[in-house]
Amino acid sequence: MGLRIKSTSLKAGLLATALMVTVSGCATPEQKESKAAVVMYDEIYDPLEPLNRYFFDVNYALDALLLRPVAEIYRGVLPDAAQDSVRNFITNLWQPVYFINNVLQGEMDRAGDNMGAFFTNTFLGVGGLFDVAKLDTQPEDMGQTLAVWGVDEGPYLVLPVFGPRTTRAAGGAVVDYFLNPVNYVAREHDWDYVPVALFAADGIDTRSRSIEALDEIERTSIDFYAAIRSLYRQNRNNMILNGASNSTQLPDMSFEDDDKPVQKN
Amino acid sequence: MMLTRRMFSGLIAAAALMTALAGAPVLAADKEQAALALVKGIGEKAVATLSDTSLSDEQKQERFEQFLDSSFDMERIGRFVLGQHWRSASEEQRSEFLKVFRDYMVSSYADKIGSYSGENLEFKETTSLNDKESLVNSLIVRPNGPPVKLDWRVRQGDEGEKIVDVIVEGISMAQTQRSDFSSVVNKPGVGVEGLITRLKQQTGSAS
Repeated sequence: MGLRIKSTSLKAGLLATALMVTVSGCATPEQKESKAAVVMYDEIYDPLEPLNRYFFDVNYALDALLLRPVAEIYRGVLPDAAQDSVRNFITNLWQPVYFINNVLQGEMDRAGDNMGAFFTNTFLGVGGLFDVAKLDTQPEDMGQTLAVWGVDEGPYLVLPVFGPRTTRAAGGAVVDYFLNPVNYVAREHDWDYVPVALFAADGIDTRSRSIEALDEIERTSIDFYAAIRSLYRQNRNNMILNGASNSTQLPDMSFEDDDKPVQKN
Repeated sequence: MMLTRRMFSGLIAAAALMTALAGAPVLAADKEQAALALVKGIGEKAVATLSDTSLSDEQKQERFEQFLDSSFDMERIGRFVLGQHWRSASEEQRSEFLKVFRDYMVSSYADKIGSYSGENLEFKETTSLNDKESLVNSLIVRPNGPPVKLDWRVRQGDEGEKIVDVIVEGISMAQTQRSDFSSVVNKPGVGVEGLITRLKQQTGSAS
């Protein structure tokens, strides 16, 4: 079993690498007409767009058929307190991973919070069902750590089932999987269903909390795919910065450079 | 004697330094004060309008359109959203786009008016972005659920302070719209004209 997992993940890794090489080969910016054009180019940079749009549609269908109905039942049937316990339990299981990533990012105070939350909630919060510590820890994944280390985000991907990811975040998620102690315990005992069940519970709970928000984006957007891509990327950047508003990240709105004639090189 | 003279010159130097230091921030602080005043005014009026049960949804909607027209630099936002296509667009296309873009904004936010449930705005700090712009940080405090970070990008112009962008939890609305429109406007043979048609459809079906 273990061997089989290894060889399939190896194959997937090789495929991903091959894909990325082909992608980066044709990723040269077109003629830069103005500063605005360059900024726009970076903002919507999406070399795999046709494939991404295909999987976006696949995921949309899967969501409509399965995830959304289940999420609505989950939200309708489970009391709010129980839903919060689901969220708390999943968050608590991820705390060791958040801890490692905070240490790797040099965020020692935040890492301390992860440690404190994990032990307090595991022992006083009945295995993490209740958030006793109330430390408001934020998710820290390897994708964010790589970003802090200066790794580029890479092409935007829409993965089947998993949804939008930057290449950096997708690679980070694989590392996070191997960092999570839960997955080791599960493998040790041949509990193959544990990671799957956790993933499903996480997905259903997250989806149930975003039904209205996603509906609204779909209703108001001109191109749902492009709106989600922009929202995903901006949200990732916000997570990487740990919510610190970074004024240098805001796009230029003065248009002063744009009004000047542009020299072509 | 030596000591007092040195002290005296030291005092003058210190005083000169302080005036030099104080001079610039006073001007900058003016800009930020004005930005904060504008946003505070809008925020208070918005909350008052939303919580006023004597107003119908249509009346609330009307007031929101007034806020949008008076306090948002819609031309700048529209120009930003079009990106490099603004330059190639004709004068007619520009004004037509600005008109439908405004209607699109109004219809996008129309549904939110009815869903108000006691949210309030709390103002945090205001920072300078550049010589013309400031960022006003605020927090939407919700009766149920965690607070939401809301930043207002305010720009000084010929007609005073105007809001040019609203940033929710680090997500810029103007940037999101620009990306949203990009694939339509970038499509060969569609361009600005096609986007205008598309926006008209959207507002037609949404209202």
